[in-house]
Amino acid sequence: MHQSRGIRTLRTIAGWLVVGVFFFPIYFWTTVAFRNAKDIFNWPPIFVDFEPTARNFEQVFGISLGFGFGAQEAVTPGGGNFYMAPRLWDSIVIASMSTVLAIVVATLAAYCLSRMHFRGRHEFVNWVLSTRMMPPVAVAVPMFFIFKQFSLLDTYLGVILVHGLMNLPLAVLLMKSFFDDIPSEIDESALLDGASRWTIFRRIVLPMAKGGIAATAVLCFIFSWTEFLFVLTLTQTSIKTVPVVSSTFVTSIGTAWGNMAALGAAAIVPAFIVIMLVQRHLVRGLTMGSLKQ
Amino acid sequence: MATVEYNRIGKSFGAVNIMRDVSFRIEEHQFVVLLGPSGCGKTTLLRMTAGLETVSEGDLMIGGKRVNDVHPRDRDIAMVFQNYALYPTMKVYDNIAFSLEVAKVQTDEIKRRVEAAAEVLNLTPYLQRYPKELSGGQRQRVAMGRAMVREPSVFLFDEPLSNLDAKLRAHMRTEIRQLHNRLKTTTIYVTHDQIEAMTMADKIVVMRAGKIEQIGSPDEVYDTPASKYVADFIGSAAINFMPGTVVTGEGQPAVDTPNGRIRVLPGAAVKPGQKVICGIRPTDAVVSDDGPIRTRALLVERMGHDVQLCTAAPAGQFLAIVDRSRPFAEGVEVRFDAAPEKVHVFDAETEMRL
Repeated sequence: MHQSRGIRTLRTIAGWLVVGVFFFPIYFWTTVAFRNAKDIFNWPPIFVDFEPTARNFEQVFGISLGFGFGAQEAVTPGGGNFYMAPRLWDSIVIASMSTVLAIVVATLAAYCLSRMHFRGRHEFVNWVLSTRMMPPVAVAVPMFFIFKQFSLLDTYLGVILVHGLMNLPLAVLLMKSFFDDIPSEIDESALLDGASRWTIFRRIVLPMAKGGIAATAVLCFIFSWTEFLFVLTLTQTSIKTVPVVSSTFVTSIGTAWGNMAALGAAAIVPAFIVIMLVQRHLVRGLTMGSLKQ
Repeated sequence: MATVEYNRIGKSFGAVNIMRDVSFRIEEHQFVVLLGPSGCGKTTLLRMTAGLETVSEGDLMIGGKRVNDVHPRDRDIAMVFQNYALYPTMKVYDNIAFSLEVAKVQTDEIKRRVEAAAEVLNLTPYLQRYPKELSGGQRQRVAMGRAMVREPSVFLFDEPLSNLDAKLRAHMRTEIRQLHNRLKTTTIYVTHDQIEAMTMADKIVVMRAGKIEQIGSPDEVYDTPASKYVADFIGSAAINFMPGTVVTGEGQPAVDTPNGRIRVLPGAAVKPGQKVICGIRPTDAVVSDDGPIRTRALLVERMGHDVQLCTAAPAGQFLAIVDRSRPFAEGVEVRFDAAPEKVHVFDAETEMRL
């Protein structure tokens, strides 16, 4: 496509503007993590020219980083009130395990819904979707009592179950649409080749749906990574995820913005790594429906 | 190799009946083409044969055994799909080897058979490629290789050439037929393309709206179409139809049509006064200065070896394919005649051959 120089420049500028709009909050938040409290709310705001400190990270992770931006006080051994490293680990465990749970169940269910004809199949799909129509807060309190009965309160298993199950409807519907895009002749062909349903699923269909699985997994992971309400209600002291502990930086003696930013900035990293890992499949997954083979 | 027999086969989807009372028999080694427009039930019949659709009524026999309730993988058949249905995540070799792997055939035996099939189909250089790296014709051959390697007793083809361009289609047509001549596996081939049917089949089964219209060799369905529908469907330049009434003139039955009086065979089972439809194939129309069919040339299409004349006759458009020795000009009058034995006569009511 031929474009005049002006238009091209304009497009480049517009592109960078959009990137800037999305990137600026991340940049600012990250720099806040490296600031002393006095440098955070300056007016006019400073963007680059501040005295950097690793103190926020040291408090949040309960370690001395060993590289100092000037003199540092010793960090309380074993962590003080702001020691949050284990919470990051909680988040990683919960997000990955609930994603695995949702993907395994959703993939199997979606394949059945896409390929097998049984009575009430369409109703089943509608029912699956309808479970997402309820506001989560409506079930938070009942869930609390149910979990209490089953001793699931404040356990990994409990939160993993809730996050996994909450992701199921969306994951099932997404995966179903990916399976629907795979021509059923491929299954039939394998069936005539003598393969069992399970072999077809494992050796033929699953490899073809990799992109869809990656896309679904990213959505599930991010959901669990950022979920607040159920972690707040269903955990007490032994586990908490990043979004919930972030709120504990708001204390009676003020808000620890620097520490909150440090945890937030650190929390970007695992999610970022997960997305990078599956990114190769992701783009293909999101466009798979449009590519006829 | 096996015979396939359809015995009063019917098919319903829910309350909708789409096929009833289909009966015919396919002998060993035969190449049978199911021919018909889309929606006539030919693909459904093929899928029932494969076991991908249930049989609602009647008995389906393969090799003399009733297979209505036999699982597809136990029917000893192989099918080539319209969109090839290759496994995109596997290389060509693994695509062809898949059925043997599933059947737990020894690895060196698999290798031997895959390589033999690849040799026959000229796929040897492509065995380590993925399907997406192949052209349409090559994919088509992989699909055939996948079917061949199992050495099934029946081959099923579901419009395998419809995704190819015209030239490749003609080429693959001869390849498939040559392959059949070599392997002699009983073959059922579904198509809506009458040229494929005419050129490949030992026997053509013409279907219409879930019923069999005619079964016969390519020559039989072309020379003596059982109905107006078959006459219309078979033949690449569409046959000319003209309505008329039977008269007896000069001791021989003839039909008075808007296009003039057309002589028909004395043996034709017609009664004077009967309303009929005459059909004359474009290739059977002969230019004759005193012929009964008076037309005005609308379009002269030179097709190389011969000329297709599109003309206006009283009964509507009249198509003729004639040799190019005579010059034709648009707008001039051309008169045609047809030999009585070349005129197909159908009952106006039932549209069946008389």
